[in-house]
Amino acid sequence: MTDDDTFDLRLRLLDRQVVDPDGAMICKVDDVELVPADDGGYVVTALLAGPLALGPRLPGRLGRWTVALARRWADGPDPAPRRIPFERVTELGSAVVLDRTRDQLGIARLEDWVRTHVIDRIPGSRHESE
Amino acid sequence: MRASDLLGAEVHTADGGRLGVVTGLRCTSDGPSTGGLPAPRVRALQVTGRHVGAALGYQQDGQRGPWLVRALVQALHRRTALVDVGSIDRIEDGTVHLSGTPD
Repeated sequence: MTDDDTFDLRLRLLDRQVVDPDGAMICKVDDVELVPADDGGYVVTALLAGPLALGPRLPGRLGRWTVALARRWADGPDPAPRRIPFERVTELGSAVVLDRTRDQLGIARLEDWVRTHVIDRIPGSRHESE
Repeated sequence: MRASDLLGAEVHTADGGRLGVVTGLRCTSDGPSTGGLPAPRVRALQVTGRHVGAALGYQQDGQRGPWLVRALVQALHRRTALVDVGSIDRIEDGTVHLSGTPD
């Protein structure tokens, strides 16, 4: 294994913007899921996003508070980060491009709820800037 | 397991000696391909004596950037070792325990 045929996971993947096929922003890659492979190494099986993924990467109290708040606001008793299977990824560049839109993935329920119940009710919110 | 379980973790050899801190995860693009791209496969841990400045990435060859910052980070990380992930014995409490001692 030489430097030429390898890359650094943190520099190539973590904190990258995730976009849909049209370039619309979905989330950031806050962490990735690794699974031991039968033929060696650990394979990336999913991108993880949201405060429950980012919190453990933040130092000290900031990280603990981020996770605690995310758990408090979560729906279920055992909340998990938003998970995007790696098979949805079609391109790894300056952004991570997926083959699905955010709505199709159904991974941003809080943002969707805010958009439907708050943003869309603001007069003029549906107008494109002209 | 998450990447964050490895990044920043202390690395100890089988005899209990401290090797350093995981500052990078070296990957190849030869994982299973069920969708558009082959999944990245983590092959080795990049281990250096300290963690400071590792997120900038200048400790790796071929990185461009302000020469002063690059030189400083490379000096801090001049003793970098690549540890095959196959030599990981267990990961617990933020520490990676190896099954042997790398050369």
